[in-house]
Amino acid sequence: MVKTKKQPGSLGKYFVIFIALALIIYAVFCILPFIYTIYYSFTDYTDMHPVDLNFVGLKNYLKVFDTPVMVTGLQNSVIYAILLTGFQVILGLPLAAALNQKLKTKNLSRSIFFFPAVFSSLIIGYLWKYILSSAESGLINSILTAMGFSTVNFFTSQSALYSIIATQVWQWTGWAMVIFLANLQGVPEELYEAARIDGASGLKAFFRITLPLMCPAVKIVVVTGLIGGMKVFDSVYAMTGGGPGNATQTVMTVMMDKGISDGFYSTGAAFGVCFFIIVLIISALVNKLMSKWSKAIS
Amino acid sequence: MKIMKKRLLTLLLTGIMATSLLAGCGGSDSASKDGAGKDETPTNEDASKPDDSADNAEEPTEKVTLRMSYWNSEDTVSALLDYLAEAVPEVEIEYQFIDNDNYNTVVDTQLSAEEGPDIICESPASALKHAKLGYLKPINELGALYSDAGTNVYSYDGSVYALPGISWFEGIWFNKDLFEENNIALPTTFDEYIAVCKEFKSLGIKPLAAGLMSWEPMLKNSMAFVTAEYLSTDAGKDFGGQYREGNAKMQGTWNSYIEKWSETFTEGIYTTDMLGIDHAQAMDEFATGSAAMFCSGPWDYDAIMEKNPDLNIDMMPFYGTAASDGWLIGGPGCGFAVNANSKHADLAVKVLEALSTVDGQAALWENNQGGSSYLNGAEFDLPEAYNSASSALNAGNVYCPWNEWGDAAAAHENYGLEFQAYLDGQDLDTTLGNVDAAVEELLSK
Repeated sequence: MVKTKKQPGSLGKYFVIFIALALIIYAVFCILPFIYTIYYSFTDYTDMHPVDLNFVGLKNYLKVFDTPVMVTGLQNSVIYAILLTGFQVILGLPLAAALNQKLKTKNLSRSIFFFPAVFSSLIIGYLWKYILSSAESGLINSILTAMGFSTVNFFTSQSALYSIIATQVWQWTGWAMVIFLANLQGVPEELYEAARIDGASGLKAFFRITLPLMCPAVKIVVVTGLIGGMKVFDSVYAMTGGGPGNATQTVMTVMMDKGISDGFYSTGAAFGVCFFIIVLIISALVNKLMSKWSKAIS
Repeated sequence: MKIMKKRLLTLLLTGIMATSLLAGCGGSDSASKDGAGKDETPTNEDASKPDDSADNAEEPTEKVTLRMSYWNSEDTVSALLDYLAEAVPEVEIEYQFIDNDNYNTVVDTQLSAEEGPDIICESPASALKHAKLGYLKPINELGALYSDAGTNVYSYDGSVYALPGISWFEGIWFNKDLFEENNIALPTTFDEYIAVCKEFKSLGIKPLAAGLMSWEPMLKNSMAFVTAEYLSTDAGKDFGGQYREGNAKMQGTWNSYIEKWSETFTEGIYTTDMLGIDHAQAMDEFATGSAAMFCSGPWDYDAIMEKNPDLNIDMMPFYGTAASDGWLIGGPGCGFAVNANSKHADLAVKVLEALSTVDGQAALWENNQGGSSYLNGAEFDLPEAYNSASSALNAGNVYCPWNEWGDAAAAHENYGLEFQAYLDGQDLDTTLGNVDAAVEELLSK
């Protein structure tokens, strides 16, 4: 009797049963709202004009780029995403390489560095707000004062965004480190042995062996970091609420304020569509760059 | 055969999973559609029908549940809820606290779906919007029981749509002991206030605790000054009305007043360091005696005294450059409105009738002491902690400029945010111009 071997991925009619429910939920809660968002972005939908919507063409899209706070939100989100992701990679990689060595405190150190990522960004944001505060109770400034230094204002228009980014680097570098560690553990030890025999230093081995082979992990960290960074909301909400002025407004805080609280639903929808396109472009670019890197290595 | 059995088992398990999931997701038939009543809750008509069951003749009629939404915690109306339970026994109030940050969004969404709370606490701006959209029931007869000062901000097109709650106001809490110990007299003008602040600074005491992470403190402080200098005068009394019609601009009109008020920056009373302090931290500084003054209202009194029961505090008003009774920023508190689409609108009106009595106002005042009632004939004693603000209160010098801005009232938040940027170096023309732009955008809706 000849057994017919099933092709991978062909589950026959059961496939439909298993996927149907998830597909329906995805369609109802993701695809349909997105289609509605696109539709609303071409209308005059506001809280004062919730019915009998009129088609207004590209008016809302033009308004997005003509509204300073929306442009500020986009700029800040891009700065936040690039800096956070950059620092995650720059700090996470050597950290992972260091904690991949035979150290007695290896497991404890890994746990300590990963620990902040366990908490919600909202909680971490509130915590850092108190640590960085200019009030007498602000931890860092009270230490500086006790040591005879002048206090630092972490929440001016110029510094607030970078203060938030610093706290998020602190929180998420450990998470990147774990991804890098997982990749590192798959790098064959023989490569390092061969490098050592050839007289390569530790630094040279890192740049010539470790770094090129870390491409898959870097890709994960960069893509998720950039997309997650562009969508930042909770840490900004907890630490500054978008202020002072509009100095720390991001795409999501502006969308909440303008698109929802102020009732400019159609403008908010247009802003959302623009944001989607920007994220799509960034993701495509990163994927292309990473693919080139992968090809160069192989 | 085995394969057949496996397939049947798989299908059976899949069926069970799907059925369980659908059952979990499905709503109960017993839940009322508008969310206002319980499953066994009779309609208004049902409630009026006589109960022909002899066994249940002595039991009270089943209550109708009305939902009431508010952005303040239940503590702020607990006495009122107790009072209403007695005054309107056929109704049970289901109190729904919605955080202020999301309040308008949640209520707007519910009302636009012709649902929502039966009794809605409204700000003047949201009441105007909801009245224009036909979401609120006119309550002119009840409105006539209140003073015009209270109902004006809740009126649209000749009808009253919400009943003013106990008034809110904000002034300057001050530490009486610090003033007395240092022989510093209370100021009676803005210049004296600046001088007092400078004196405290020279003594090494922080004159004013301010959490400028919030956009509110400078909004209220500066607007109180502009009220004293301009908005309360003949020249400025129509500004609010003109502003909401798009016929006036802040930029160019308010500059000279704000430039004078900006002495609070140049004299180091408001500093950029304060942009890194939130409201709670500023209150801590005042409550622990590190700062001599703190701008806030009655809502913070309990928290301040809880932190330091020995603190001896009083409230003074804000001042303009000329000697006066002073000004407090404030106005009618939450306006109580009836959802026009409520299935129990008549009962909701009955609840508001109970609220519109001296006893009802007393119950509301119980958790909002310091404010005053707009109901004709309802007067309450001012607690001792507001002695120094009594002249302003007695003179009726309580005013909230943005209540006059109509559809653009929400721009007061932009004003506060722009003032954060102003303190941090943005020029005044840009600051006021940005507020004008926000107002223009809101009016264009």
